[in-house]
Amino acid sequence: MSAPASSPLPHVDTKPQGSADFYYAVNATFRFLLQRLGPDGWRRYLEELGRGYFEPVNRQWSQGGLPAVARYWRAFFAAEPGAVVDVVEHPDRVEVQVRECPAIKHLRAGGREIVGEYCQHCYFLGAARAEAAGLTLRLSGGSGSCCHTYARRETGLAPQDLREIKEARS
Amino acid sequence: MIGCYDFCGHYEWTFGWLERVGGHALVRDYWNEAINHDSQSHARDLIRREGIPGMLKYWGHTLLEESPDLGFNITHTADVFRIDFHDCPSRGFLRRNGLKHYHDYCDHCMGWTGPMLGEAGYVIDHEHNHLGQCWWEMRKAGTPGGHAPAGSVAGPKDVRLRPDWPKDPAKLDRYTKANDPDAKMP
Repeated sequence: MSAPASSPLPHVDTKPQGSADFYYAVNATFRFLLQRLGPDGWRRYLEELGRGYFEPVNRQWSQGGLPAVARYWRAFFAAEPGAVVDVVEHPDRVEVQVRECPAIKHLRAGGREIVGEYCQHCYFLGAARAEAAGLTLRLSGGSGSCCHTYARRETGLAPQDLREIKEARS
Repeated sequence: MIGCYDFCGHYEWTFGWLERVGGHALVRDYWNEAINHDSQSHARDLIRREGIPGMLKYWGHTLLEESPDLGFNITHTADVFRIDFHDCPSRGFLRRNGLKHYHDYCDHCMGWTGPMLGEAGYVIDHEHNHLGQCWWEMRKAGTPGGHAPAGSVAGPKDVRLRPDWPKDPAKLDRYTKANDPDAKMP
């Protein structure tokens, strides 16, 4: 079964939201990859995940441009329990303003040791996806709230400074 | 961001990626170290501490959250904890969405629960048909029983009583008193 035409999500479930305990597995996966393969291996995983698993989304973005990006993130966060997010469309960019990150919130509530690099995953993964769609991503903030900015390449956003992404704290 | 809504999709993709990068050993280590010992440490601690009542608390909660339409059935006595999956929420997600990047997604369950239950002193009898149906019986290591006759533990909710449960054993992966994902019966 493919996703219904009305959903911007490429893979759909029978329930409206996911199970937040899966954030524990995402955090644990990052820790395992960082310990076994190092930062470069973890980054490679995220980039290949972005180009591979997320290829249907990248294609949507490539074909639909920034409005498709906005539609996707609204649908994405509606399916993530506990997310408080505003998706703001500008003529030249889309800002995903994450006021309460559902993953960081749940990991903290569960008393989990959060991987310090956790918030960088959104950049490495998202940048690979954006690049595949002819877009760019910049990320600032982290550790519970942040802003993702998607823009067309020609917009000429300043290069990403990884120091703009905060270390995630438990 | 990696989300939890389509978790089973990127989780399954990750198995294939790990196998390409580090072979089967890295996949096994991932299930044991990342899932058993880290992600699911709450289950591990609970079951090591409480045994079968801990299994009931853990799976009773987590399966209800993952499968609110009750595609599963739990049966337990003092000696055995049994789950029958009639509509596995994660395998079902993959099948409905046409996702397959790893040769046998179902192996991940034994990959992390096998070592977890072994550390708690339990062994597993199990069969899965790769189509979203499977059953599990968990007993203390060294106790009798295992592969109980169809219906004898779970009654009419035993998945093996379904008309579509394979009659050909070659279509099933089968484990006996196991804790290792590679310990499939020939």
